[in-house]
Amino acid sequence: MGQIEWAMWANEQALASGLILITGGIVATAGRFTQWYFGAYSIVAGVFVCLLEYPRGKRKKGSTMERWGQKYMTAVVKLFGPFTRNYYVRAVLHLLLSVPAGFLLATILGTACLAIASGIYLLAAVRGEQWTPIEPKPRERPQIGGTIKQPPSNPPPRPPAEARKKPSEEEAAVAAGGPPGGPQVNPIPVTDEVV
Amino acid sequence: MLSAVTDLGSIESTVSKNLPVVSIHQLGLCLSRASASVLNLNCSLILLPMCRTLLAYLRGSQKVPSRRTRRLLDKSRTFHITCGVTICIFSGVHVAAHLVNALNFSVNYSEDFVELNAARYRDEDPRKLLFTTVPGLTGVCMVVVLFLMITASTYAIRVSNYDIFWYTHNLFFVFYMLLTLHVSGGLLKYQTNLDTHPPGCISLNRTSSQNISLPEYFSEHFHEPFPEGFSKPAEFTQHKFVKICMEEPRFQANFPQTWLWISGPLCLYCAERLYRYIRSNKPVTIISVMSHPSDVMEIRMVKENFKARPGQYITLHCPSVSALENHPFTLTMCPTETKATFGVHLKIVGDWTERFRDLLLPPSSQDSEILPFIQSRNYPKLYIDGPFGSPFEESLNYEVSLCVAGGIGVTPFASILNTLLDDWKPYKLRRLYFIWVCRDIQSFRWFADLLCMLHNKFWQENRPDYVNIQLYLSQTDGIQKIIGEKYHALNSRLFIGRPRWKLLFDEIAKYNRGKTVGVFCCGPNSLSKTLHKLSNQNNSYGTRFEYNKESFS
Repeated sequence: MGQIEWAMWANEQALASGLILITGGIVATAGRFTQWYFGAYSIVAGVFVCLLEYPRGKRKKGSTMERWGQKYMTAVVKLFGPFTRNYYVRAVLHLLLSVPAGFLLATILGTACLAIASGIYLLAAVRGEQWTPIEPKPRERPQIGGTIKQPPSNPPPRPPAEARKKPSEEEAAVAAGGPPGGPQVNPIPVTDEVV
Repeated sequence: MLSAVTDLGSIESTVSKNLPVVSIHQLGLCLSRASASVLNLNCSLILLPMCRTLLAYLRGSQKVPSRRTRRLLDKSRTFHITCGVTICIFSGVHVAAHLVNALNFSVNYSEDFVELNAARYRDEDPRKLLFTTVPGLTGVCMVVVLFLMITASTYAIRVSNYDIFWYTHNLFFVFYMLLTLHVSGGLLKYQTNLDTHPPGCISLNRTSSQNISLPEYFSEHFHEPFPEGFSKPAEFTQHKFVKICMEEPRFQANFPQTWLWISGPLCLYCAERLYRYIRSNKPVTIISVMSHPSDVMEIRMVKENFKARPGQYITLHCPSVSALENHPFTLTMCPTETKATFGVHLKIVGDWTERFRDLLLPPSSQDSEILPFIQSRNYPKLYIDGPFGSPFEESLNYEVSLCVAGGIGVTPFASILNTLLDDWKPYKLRRLYFIWVCRDIQSFRWFADLLCMLHNKFWQENRPDYVNIQLYLSQTDGIQKIIGEKYHALNSRLFIGRPRWKLLFDEIAKYNRGKTVGVFCCGPNSLSKTLHKLSNQNNSYGTRFEYNKESFS
C-alpha cells in the first residue's frame, strides 16, 4: 500500500469530474432552468479542468502511458511552473471551482466528484508527490560519419590498432605542445606476410 | 439496449394513446424508466463473469462440449468490462432524466392526485427532494460510489497502481446494498381499483377539465400539467364510450423489479465467495523452494483434495507478507493421481514478490539452487485460492497446437508439458509446436530439464515429431551461445534473434494441411497482436489457425 501514487487516480477523477460538469452545465443551460447562469459557469469550469488535467504526470517508477495528443497541453501546463507542479494548489483550486456548481441541481454531481478529486489531490500533496511533465525522449540523430575516427596516418602496410594507438597518443600530446615532427617510425617491424 | 428500446416503446405508446401532446417530463420519465431497465439487466449480468470457480467448473465439465462455447468463457473479463461501461453510460442517462423529473415534480405538483406526487408541496426545492427522500439520497451515494469505482478502473490505473483498482472495486457491495434501498422508495405506483375508476371516466361532481388527463392502467403513473396538456374535450367524448367513476382512484406502490433481477446473481456470487473462502482456509504445506536464474523462484507444495488441470492458475495469499493482497500465478506442475505435489514459478518483480522471496529464501542462500532441508520448518503460512480456468487448458484439445511463450509466460505451457511427460495418450493433441522467446540465455534453465526429458521420452516412444521445440534468444551479447553442456537437444534448437512469424506460420500450415491449429500466446501484448493478426490471415494450404487469447490486466 505504501507505494501507491494517488496523484494518478486524482487526475483521472478530476478529468471525469470535468466531463460531468460540462454535461450538467449543458443540461442546465439548454433547459433554461432558473439560475441557468450557474450552468454556463459549470461548462466553462468543466472545460478548464479538463484542459488542466489532460496531460498525465510522470510516475516515479516505471513508464507512464501518455494520453493521445497530450504533448500540446503539457507544454502549456508546464509554463505555469509551481502553480501546476504543486498538488496543494490543485487541490485548493478544484475545491474552489466546485463550490459554485453546487447551487444548481443539474451540476451538483459535478461538485461532489470534483470535491472528491480535490481531496485525493490533497492526499497526494501530503505524501510529497509532484507533477512532472512527460518529456519526449530526444531522438538520437544518426550521426553521419560518427564512427569514422581519425583517418589512418600511415600508408599501408599498417601495424594493428593497439600499436597504432600509441603513436597517435604521443602525437596528441606533442600536438598540444607543438607541431608533430619527423617521419613516422613503425614501432613494430612490418613484414610482408602474403603467401 | 433491447430492453431499453422495448420499455421506451411500450411506455411511449401508452402515453400517446391518451394524450396528444408529449411534454418534456414524460420524456424524462420514459428515459429514466428505460435506462433503469437497462441498468437492471446489466447490474445482474455483470456479476456472472466474476464467479470464477463456476466458470472453471463449466470449462472442465462435459456439459460444455463445444469448443466454441468454451471460447466464450475466455471473453468473460471483456464481458464484465462491457457491462461496466454500459452501467456507466446508462447511469448518466438515468441521473439526467431524474434530475429533470425532480424539477418537474416540484413545478407541476398535482393537487388532485396527491399520492402520485413525489414532491410534498408545490415548488419544493428539487435539491431537497434529492437529498431527503430515500431514492434520492441512495441515488446520490450510488453515483459517488460508481464514480470512485470507474475512475479507478481505467487501464492506466490498473497497469500502474493495481491496489487502487482492487480496493475501490470492492465497493461494489456497497453499491448493491444502496441499489436495493434505492428501489424500495415506492415512487412508482399503480392504480388498484381499475374496475371502479377506469381511465377516462367522468366524475359527476367535478368539472370536466380536471378529468381529461387521467392516469393509465399500466404500471406507470405520472401526473400531467392540467392547463397545458389540455386536449379537446368534445373530441374526447365523441370517440370514446365514457364511463362514470364510482369512487376515487387508489394507488399502491409497484413491487421493485430490481430485487428480482439482482437477487439471483448476487446470491450466486456470495455463495461462490463463501465456497472459495472455506476452501482456501486451510494452508498449504510447502515442500521445497528453489531459486532459479534471472530472478525466478519455484515453490512446490501439497494440499489435501487439491485437483487442477494443466493451464489453470491459483492465487497466493501470504499473511506474513501482506494481509490483504492476493496474487495470481499459473501452476507449472499440476497434481496427478500418483503425485500430489504441485508447483508455481514466480518471477520477482515488485514489492510483494520481493518480500515473499526474502521470507522463503534467506538472502545468504539466494544464489544456491536448492534450499537446505533444515529451513523448511520456518516457512510462513501460505494460502491458495483456486484453481481458476484459463484459455491455455484448451491446448490439449486441439489436434495441433502452437504455443508461443515470452519470458516468464512459459509457465502455463510448463504445466502442459509436465502433463504430456506424465501421459500424453488420453488427450486429443498429436503435435505441439513450442516456441519460447527469452531475453537472457539463463532463463532457459528454468525448464531445460523438463524439455530435455520430454524430448527423450518421445524419442524413445518413436514419436519424435510430437513436440517441436524452438528456443529464441532475442537479445544477445554474442558471448553465450549454449544453455548448458548437457542440454544437447536444446542447444541445437536455439536460435539467436527474434522468430520470423510469417515463415513459421507458413511452415506449420504446410505440414498440417487442412487441420485446425490452436494458437496460444503468453507474453507481451505486441507479440500477442502479431500472432492474432497472422492467425486470421488465410493461407494457401487450407489450414485454419484459431487464436485463443488470454486477457491479463
